Amino acid sequence: MRLIPHARRLGLRLVESKGDNLVIEMPFNDELEVIPGTGLMANGAITAFLDTALGAAVHYELKVFRTMVTLDLRVDYFEKPPPFSAIVVKTRCLKVTDHIVFVQGDVFCKDMSVPLAHGVAAFSYTPMEQDA
Amino acid sequence: MIIEFLNKLKPMATFDESLDISPYAKMMWFRLLREQDKLTTVMKYHSDLVGSPFPPALHGGTLASLMEMSALMELFWNMDVQHLPKTIDITIDYLRSGKTEDTFSRARVYRQGRRYATVHAEAWQTDMAKPIATAMLHFQLID
Repeated sequence: MRLIPHARRLGLRLVESKGDNLVIEMPFNDELEVIPGTGLMANGAITAFLDTALGAAVHYELKVFRTMVTLDLRVDYFEKPPPFSAIVVKTRCLKVTDHIVFVQGDVFCKDMSVPLAHGVAAFSYTPMEQDA
Repeated sequence: MIIEFLNKLKPMATFDESLDISPYAKMMWFRLLREQDKLTTVMKYHSDLVGSPFPPALHGGTLASLMEMSALMELFWNMDVQHLPKTIDITIDYLRSGKTEDTFSRARVYRQGRRYATVHAEAWQTDMAKPIATAMLHFQLID
């Protein structure tokens, strides 16, 4: 995460990698507010957070570093995170094919049973035999 | 706050304004400009936007964020809103890798009803005919 300048700027931190899942945290930071003093994070920051977390989930699933690109990303915003709170994304890899990895992630605040947002993405990667 | 800011700009035929009134927009180096009757949101390049150092490319999330901002700005510009529309969802297609340079985005309101709006946004760099990403967004207009 530290190697990705934008992820560093967002303050992202890996909390846990267990089984199929990664848990990544984005702490609250007043730079992420749309309107100063409200404690509400910009949706854009949540989207960028999900994008990073899902990319990390692909790397985690593939075990080795591969050249990859995001094909698409869809985010549903269920409800706003509570003001001034850190949020986490829990990712899950849905399927790996010869060229594509499908991943999803849910955003939570403190309660890991109440998702605040949901993201799903498809990443294309370069398979082993095509590596130069 | 944002509504007052935009209302002040509305009578002006051309402008190029920073969006620093919003901390997040400031962090992203967003600007809003208007020329030839078109509203464009700009994300000025700076190194914190990078997602992949080798080869250097913009973080996909920053493009999503730029397109969401431009969709919101277009909505605001064309409607008389009393409060911020809520983003319901966004679907982003990444078409080309984002180079380490300024990125522009314009949006079009496909449909605006009383409760919801459907907005499409595109992001490009040097050539508007070659978008690097597009997005479709839904907004909820009522509380």
